[in-house]
Amino acid sequence: MAAGTTTIAEAAERQRRLELKELLQKQYKWIDRKWDLVFWVTAIFVVAGAADITKQLFAGDWDFWTDWKDPQWWPVITAFATIIIPSALQYIQWAAWRFPTGATYTSVCFFMAAWVGRYFQWHIAENYPMNFVWPISTVCAGIILDWTLMKTKSFILTSLIGAHLWALLVWAYNYVPLAPFLQPAHFMDHVLTVADVQGIVYIRSQTPEYLRLIERGALRSFLGETQYVSLVFGGTVAFVGYWIGQFIGRYLAVWPIRRYLKTL
Amino acid sequence: MAQSQAVQQRPKEYGRSATTTGRSPNPTDWLIGWKPLFWGCALIMAANIFLWFWNYEFAFTAGLNSASPEFSLYYRTLFWGELLSLGVFTGIWYGWLIRTGREMVGQQCARAEEVRRIAILWSIIGATSLSIYIEASFWPNWDGSWHQTMVRDTALTPTHIPMFYFFFPLSVILALGAFIYGRFRIPELYSRDKGFPWSFFLLISAAVFECMQVAFNEWGHSLWISEEFFAAPFHWPFVTYGWLASGMFSVWGETILRLFEIEKAEEVATTDTHFRPHAVAD
Repeated sequence: MAAGTTTIAEAAERQRRLELKELLQKQYKWIDRKWDLVFWVTAIFVVAGAADITKQLFAGDWDFWTDWKDPQWWPVITAFATIIIPSALQYIQWAAWRFPTGATYTSVCFFMAAWVGRYFQWHIAENYPMNFVWPISTVCAGIILDWTLMKTKSFILTSLIGAHLWALLVWAYNYVPLAPFLQPAHFMDHVLTVADVQGIVYIRSQTPEYLRLIERGALRSFLGETQYVSLVFGGTVAFVGYWIGQFIGRYLAVWPIRRYLKTL
Repeated sequence: MAQSQAVQQRPKEYGRSATTTGRSPNPTDWLIGWKPLFWGCALIMAANIFLWFWNYEFAFTAGLNSASPEFSLYYRTLFWGELLSLGVFTGIWYGWLIRTGREMVGQQCARAEEVRRIAILWSIIGATSLSIYIEASFWPNWDGSWHQTMVRDTALTPTHIPMFYFFFPLSVILALGAFIYGRFRIPELYSRDKGFPWSFFLLISAAVFECMQVAFNEWGHSLWISEEFFAAPFHWPFVTYGWLASGMFSVWGETILRLFEIEKAEEVATTDTHFRPHAVAD
């Protein structure tokens, strides 16, 4: 096609852009920014609640204590539990506004809720030190998951690529604050990690030591590879979690709009 | 009756043009359509702060032994007080919603008034959202820390009493109340002849299902597991609450679409003729 000529498709695209621009600048009588503000602020609570309860009841123990953040189960279960609601919000915000922000929005809401709960309920009310019960953050993984959707514009590719990145980044981002607690310590004639010492010193009368699901099975025979095997498997279960979230977003949040069960 | 008349008369004020004293009131002004949001959230937060400080003060001194007289004084009283206050609140609120709502059935609703009612519905939904956060995140954190460290001897533990027996039923009450509000006051979306909306079905069933899960949870804890492991499969059904609460986004979605329809009708009415009746005609 010679330069300077305009195809029908280009003209249609220009027309569409003009219409969208006009729509963007349209003045309504009653629809104003207050609706946006109320929506985005009040949605924080339900999103934070849904994300936090999903994480607590699927992977809570691994998030509650530093000594549970092990190389075998923590990267797997946490990746699965934390991606579900971000995936749902990613669908909702993409379907509604083409905003690639749902996972980040959810991660920030979840981060705030987790810290409020951990500070007021675990630290203030129950006297656990924050460096024993600090919560993880999924903000970095959320940004990358949204970036993946923005670049691929495909939920299938986002689930395939983004879910594995999610598992990797949730672990990597939170390994930074965890690393100091994995340093060796000499405690009662044994070499333990600092996190292990915390788990012994701070009494959890309902949570006996034998319940910690670490150092089991073939963990030792895999030597240093365990961590990487866990991360790859974590990406696989995060893929499943991503599609559970998509189901929630598609069929429990968007599909029911203006649908009715039956005439009563 | 007087209240419902007031509701009916208010739209005329919104329809007036600006006067020399300033612009006419808008149904989406913060202190008109959104006022219930602030009051609702303030009351919920006040109740939450009260219950938090109550537990902070008495959980370790009176909440460890359910057979003690201190427990009866501070916690069984609180338990019955919560149920009683919720019952009274529900009776008054639902009674008012239904009584005044029935008088509105079949009456035409001005566009500005419908916008105000949608803002009030959003306010109730916003308060429900806050209640859901408190029951799904704020209190479960204390419940987790409590049960991981204390051995329980009752279903009415100090953390269960605010969470299970106040905020769980409160969310049911708010979600159902929002539907009753919409059923009578926003007939274009929720009138009886349209059937039961999926959005509210999911939202209400989420809250009801959660209360049923409490029964299963306590029965199970009394039978085969105490609370050694918080992420036990036995606890998993609780997450469905957070998932089904996605119905809230459907309520937001369908009311936003309705707002655009109202705006369109208003635009047509003002451009077509100056004498068009001020009512939704679409």
